[in-house]
Amino acid sequence: MTPAITFDAGLLRRYDQPGPRYTSYPTAPAFTPDFDAARLRAHARRSNEEPIPRPLSIYVHVPYCFNPCFYCGCNRIITRDRSRAAPYLLRLAREAELISPWFDRDREVIQVHLGGGTPNFLSAAEICELMECLRGSFRLTTRADRDFSIELDPRYLHLGDIASYAACGFSRASFGVQDFDPEVQRAVNREQTVEQTLDAIQACRDSGFRSVNVDLIYGLPKQRCEGFARTLDIVTAARPDRIAIYGYAHMPQIFKPQKQIVEAELPAPAEKLALLQLAIERLTEAGYQHIGMDHFALPDDDLSVAQANGTLQRNFMGYTTHAECDLIGMGVSAISHVGDSFSQNPRELPAWEQAIDAGRPPVWRGLELSFDDCVRADVIQQLMCNAAVDIAAIEARHDIVFEAYFGAALAKLAPLIEDGLATRDSTRIAATSRGRLLLRIIAMCFDDYLDRAAQPAPRQRYSRVI
Amino acid sequence: MITWTAPRSRRRGSVIRESSSSPIADDGDSLRFCSTCAFSSACLEQGYDKSRLAELHVLVEHVGPFAEGTHLFREGEPFEAIAAVRAGTVKTYVNDSEGREQVQGFFLPGEVIGLNAISRNTYPCNAVALDTVALCRFSFPGIAALAARMPGVQQQLFRLLSQDIGKAALLAGNYTADERMAAFLVSLSRRFAARGFSPKRFRLTMTRTDIANYLRLASESVSRGFRRLQDAGLVAVDRREIELRDLAKLEAMASSILRG
Repeated sequence: MTPAITFDAGLLRRYDQPGPRYTSYPTAPAFTPDFDAARLRAHARRSNEEPIPRPLSIYVHVPYCFNPCFYCGCNRIITRDRSRAAPYLLRLAREAELISPWFDRDREVIQVHLGGGTPNFLSAAEICELMECLRGSFRLTTRADRDFSIELDPRYLHLGDIASYAACGFSRASFGVQDFDPEVQRAVNREQTVEQTLDAIQACRDSGFRSVNVDLIYGLPKQRCEGFARTLDIVTAARPDRIAIYGYAHMPQIFKPQKQIVEAELPAPAEKLALLQLAIERLTEAGYQHIGMDHFALPDDDLSVAQANGTLQRNFMGYTTHAECDLIGMGVSAISHVGDSFSQNPRELPAWEQAIDAGRPPVWRGLELSFDDCVRADVIQQLMCNAAVDIAAIEARHDIVFEAYFGAALAKLAPLIEDGLATRDSTRIAATSRGRLLLRIIAMCFDDYLDRAAQPAPRQRYSRVI
Repeated sequence: MITWTAPRSRRRGSVIRESSSSPIADDGDSLRFCSTCAFSSACLEQGYDKSRLAELHVLVEHVGPFAEGTHLFREGEPFEAIAAVRAGTVKTYVNDSEGREQVQGFFLPGEVIGLNAISRNTYPCNAVALDTVALCRFSFPGIAALAARMPGVQQQLFRLLSQDIGKAALLAGNYTADERMAAFLVSLSRRFAARGFSPKRFRLTMTRTDIANYLRLASESVSRGFRRLQDAGLVAVDRREIELRDLAKLEAMASSILRG
């Protein structure tokens, strides 16, 4: 289905450069501390006042992990001390009490995502307690098609607990796998058996979960096509509804755990690209649809359906059918997207704790989207979700003349078109099959923050795009 | 103090001096009125274009822009002027004996605020800018004199006054939520159309709370109403942008309220 994609070495060198993943535009480095809790509150109030206020989506970050995976770029705290969960939960409850009055109670929460870290660092009873506390503060939907998802680490999972996750409302589970190759697992300090993983997937199905997702990573140390092919075969045979394939971002100066990774063991850019091509081939052969940058889904999954309908969206949780929500992030480092604003909680646990203990909503920094931000965010969203931009639709939505408004961006796009990554005519810009692997590069043409002098160079902030 | 009296700092020197006979600070045309002016046709019918309207020049003053949330006048303040909205939306409201806000109306470009003060010496309600508002202020004793000289202007004043009273019909009566919602949308549509704006696509500048208050419904009912109309294919709602997809059906639903 997917045609063979070839890259020559020169092209690879040119485009193997750092770039944002565009889970938001503007991206988090553009957030500033002058955006405080009062401004978030004003945006929340305003969001209540639309004729049909958007439904709500809640993200809760659980930072704790039992064991450090060396590749991890997430905000996490390594500990085996389970007693740290209880005070964290108490503060989450307090945060919900501080934030929830800002949102009108008739606004239904149609999406909940528990991410980390390792959400199942919390016991099953604590997870249900957290859901009950969210139910006390917000109106969680009871709809059967709700998206309440939880990230689970199969290595620390009691299969018996999965039924209680389902009982407290969860309908989707996401499992980290990365690679089953034992050599790779040792190199990244994450040893997880095939049995643990498959048993967990089966237990979710038995408990009535609507959907299961598996995360894989390409570009890990010691990773080779042969081993990764075996992993892909095992995973596709288990038929998870969604598979995410993330490129490993080696930035040890920002993500300290990555210092443990031996740089010489990392695959070269050409090998890394071969791993990605292998994944795309195997997954499409197995009947999965390529949803966007890094996601695949079975044809009857909501994401595939949404992409076919043109309603696919992208937010901090990746691709979703629910970006028309206002997103409330809770817990350390969590990001919110309310109205035309982004905001983020403190990244460090003590700062988050102090704010909550003082009865202050823990907003660390954020940004109010300008008109220009909204126009560019729309274009980038289109690119990341549909691999194409409908020029007339953008012009109509924002009342602009595309060619005049995006003169500079189109000039940046021209060499990409020459290199066969994108095409452009009077009605649309589209990524070619080759360009679909480099959507970030195409989107970067429309990013107005990359050149701004006030920020550190992109190389220090963003991972390589391949 | 009446906010809509342009603060000194906002006045652009000789251009808007009240006693000056220099041209009205307009959007650049010394002969024509603002396209939305409530009185332009009345004056033009009498053969008075702008160049001949020396009297009116003295009376008319462009003021603003006023930021969202600015009070243009408050209940009980001495009546000085009526004003046509040139840009933005103005909400009028009173507070009842328990301090609860009661929304009285919304005024779009071309519509006139302060009319209900004509029969008294003070404003009987509050007026607040819902977004960035620009006004054209008519100091009243002057326009009364002018109305006496130009019957068309007087007629227009009476027409505006009766329209203002007619708006109250929306609030009273035993109508369903859907009828009220439809009447509200059709009324906005007609008013936009009358000023040359699109009757089918417009932005709701008022909050859900204000709409609910004005229609005497709960906020949730307003949203449920919009959702029902949307599900039935009569409207499309994208945040604050409204598209009326079946105006004929909406008109039919609203007909019992908007008779005539």
